[in-house]
Amino acid sequence: MALLTVQNITKEFDGIRALDNLSFEVEEKSIVALIGPNGSGKTTFFNIATGFMDEDKGKIFFKSREITLFKPYKIARLGIGRTFQNIRLFPQISVLDNVMLAFKYEKGEVFSAALLQTKKMKEEDKTNQKKAEELLKFVGLIDKKDNLGEQLSHGQRKLLELARALALDPELLLLDEPTAGLFPEMKELMLDHIRTLKNKGKAILFIEHDMHSVMSVADKIIVLNHGKKIAEGTPEEIKANKEVQIAYLGKSNL
Amino acid sequence: MIIQLISNGIIAGCIYALIATGFTVIYRTVKFFHFAHGIIYVTGAYIAYTFFILLQINPFISFILSIALAALLGIVIDRFVYSLLRKHKTSNLVFLLASFGVFIFLQNLIQIIFGAQILTLGTGPIKEGHHLWGAVITNNQILIIVSSLVLFIICWLFIQKTKFGKAIRAVADDPTGARIVGINSEKIIMIAFAVGSALAGAAGILISLDTNIEPAIGFNAILKGIIASIIGGIGSIPGALLGGLFLGLVENLGIWKIQAGWKDAIAFGILIIFLLFRPSGIMGFKSEKEKI
Amino acid sequence: MEYLAHIIIIAGIYTILSLSLNLIVGYTGLAALGHIAFATVGAYASSLLALNLGISPWIGLLIGAIMASILGAIVAYPALRLKGDYLALATFGLGVIVYSVAKNWVSLTRGPMGLPGIPSFSLFGLEFNNVWTYLVLVLIFVSITYFAIRNITKSPFGRILTGIREDEIATEAMGKNIIKHKLIVFMVGAFFAGIAGSLYAHYITFIDPSSFTAMESITVLLMVVFGGLASLPGSVVGAMVLVIFPELLRFLGLPSSVAAPLRQMIYGLLLVVLMIYRPKGLIGKYKFK
Repeated sequence: MALLTVQNITKEFDGIRALDNLSFEVEEKSIVALIGPNGSGKTTFFNIATGFMDEDKGKIFFKSREITLFKPYKIARLGIGRTFQNIRLFPQISVLDNVMLAFKYEKGEVFSAALLQTKKMKEEDKTNQKKAEELLKFVGLIDKKDNLGEQLSHGQRKLLELARALALDPELLLLDEPTAGLFPEMKELMLDHIRTLKNKGKAILFIEHDMHSVMSVADKIIVLNHGKKIAEGTPEEIKANKEVQIAYLGKSNL
Repeated sequence: MIIQLISNGIIAGCIYALIATGFTVIYRTVKFFHFAHGIIYVTGAYIAYTFFILLQINPFISFILSIALAALLGIVIDRFVYSLLRKHKTSNLVFLLASFGVFIFLQNLIQIIFGAQILTLGTGPIKEGHHLWGAVITNNQILIIVSSLVLFIICWLFIQKTKFGKAIRAVADDPTGARIVGINSEKIIMIAFAVGSALAGAAGILISLDTNIEPAIGFNAILKGIIASIIGGIGSIPGALLGGLFLGLVENLGIWKIQAGWKDAIAFGILIIFLLFRPSGIMGFKSEKEKI
Repeated sequence: MEYLAHIIIIAGIYTILSLSLNLIVGYTGLAALGHIAFATVGAYASSLLALNLGISPWIGLLIGAIMASILGAIVAYPALRLKGDYLALATFGLGVIVYSVAKNWVSLTRGPMGLPGIPSFSLFGLEFNNVWTYLVLVLIFVSITYFAIRNITKSPFGRILTGIREDEIATEAMGKNIIKHKLIVFMVGAFFAGIAGSLYAHYITFIDPSSFTAMESITVLLMVVFGGLASLPGSVVGAMVLVIFPELLRFLGLPSSVAAPLRQMIYGLLLVVLMIYRPKGLIGKYKFK
């Protein structure tokens, strides 16, 4: 039974089909790449999967539970973390706070606990702070924990977004172009993190344009064009696929 | 009785439409709510008062001079406040708050100069109005309706037919593209403020022919202007006309059943409903979907 | 000296208003421009209950704050769908509507004639009807407000509010219920503003709509912005400075017909200058984005 099951998702904008009967699965502890030319519907799919957009048709299941109609915050709490194509950080607060915000707070989020500053709330906060620092160590940002979000470089911001998504302790990570705009060393670092996360038991579905990244890390690749899935398979299978090559004509460095 | 209310509604509607049209010309170009537009309305009235009543200058010349000075005031506000804000990436909210500041500043300045008491532009004995289909309408009121329509047509032609008008529309729709083809957007913005403020000033002058003026009337005027613009579709000039007339009629016909004091609340209620459920108004442009 | 105490009482009441508004605008980033409406509800509810039903001002204060809180929940609804300047306009409009109700629902509020003879607080026979006792009362409430809001903001709950301000979509993607938090924030902010309104009513013992105009909301916002968004000490300073400073104008010997509009002119100018040159205010750490 797959971790994420996508069934016949269709979405139209102003008469154009952004997604056309998209179906696929993501298994536990696997890395799946979602690729395709610009405008093929990849980010739209992410938005629908995470509840920010409504689909016109189709269903999505996470751990056998239908999440199609769920609100974004509910989906996040079920264990799906995501990053954004345009990086959505909290610029005017510290890096540490950026991560801490994402943790589940049984006590601290309750208004009365906050108002009364209960001991339990403070303990929980301390625990989460330690966890946040662990995550920052993992992505290599621990030295920057007191800097403001807006003070980070592009690559650092991407790492922070990853750390933040991990704070949800998700089983599935949706990463939207995780290596975009990164220097080669940073790219490798990010791919390394992705591999490590798989080893830690997570599943990752990521959107990418950089074929090298895709080929070196993905277990399975799904190719979209004009909202339709035109191919699905291992990196070798996709490399050899004629239709994929046509879709990417002139843009490929397979 | 109802004819009278409709007549009153149209007169009020013309004033609202003028304010709203001026507001819309500016909004289309700069994309924020220029709340201080309301104080230009007031300034037009007071400048006309100064020329016509205090200095006894010929009414026609007073009118022209007043409109010109109102246009100038609009330009000055843009130069001294908004253009400075445009230099950094500022949100619409900051522009709105700065605009509130300008409004408050100028309204109280007018109050200090002219005092808070009520003034009137009318001279001589009150003339008897004309009787038309059971309603009474005065010469001044007819003047308001006719002048409004003339001004509106001039403005519409200016936006649609002249080089400047086309440039305004270009800057409004695509500021970067406009700059690429050599349009100086700062200059165009200035022209938009001049045109929009002239209309506001004209509205202020016209209304003071019919009713009394005091420094505080600007608040109400700009609220109605914004409401009319949004109802008609923010960014649409014909929409501003429709919105203004609609608002004038609803207010005056509504009085029939509801006390006059509730006008503002009703107007704002309509605004909030439109903001929540139909922000593009009756004729306006759809706003861009937020990218996620 | 009594005069000074009076000024501090007024400044204290405004401080409660600016602290509570800062929670909504500064910490959560919601452009709420009709804050005075909550004070209006608190003031009128408390006064009417005391005058018409003989209810103790303490209870009236609480009920007034709760009713203001309910209005807060209503005002939160536009905040769920609108942003930035559109939200500012809508909340401003709601403020105007509340003002209209106070002014026109004459059978309830006596409209422009106002409500005279509002009873003062009393505790064990001590009447809070002079400047000194009231000063203590107000300072106690200011402290309560300050510490309550500080606690709220220095907590995971508060962190979520900041997240809403910085990036609502990302915050939601991190599993936070935005709607619930916006609702709570408005209700809490309104609650304290309602308290401020009641304190005002039972001090001056006369209220009429002219104390609660839409422009008053702008003044409170100015205090928050001037002191600094998301800075609680800033809100205190902002309120104190903007209340006390215009009083100094009186000593210039200007006639009140000039002093009053002059004070407003300074407010207007200050707002413009802040927006252009110092949007973070005196000691703020954030600015409107």
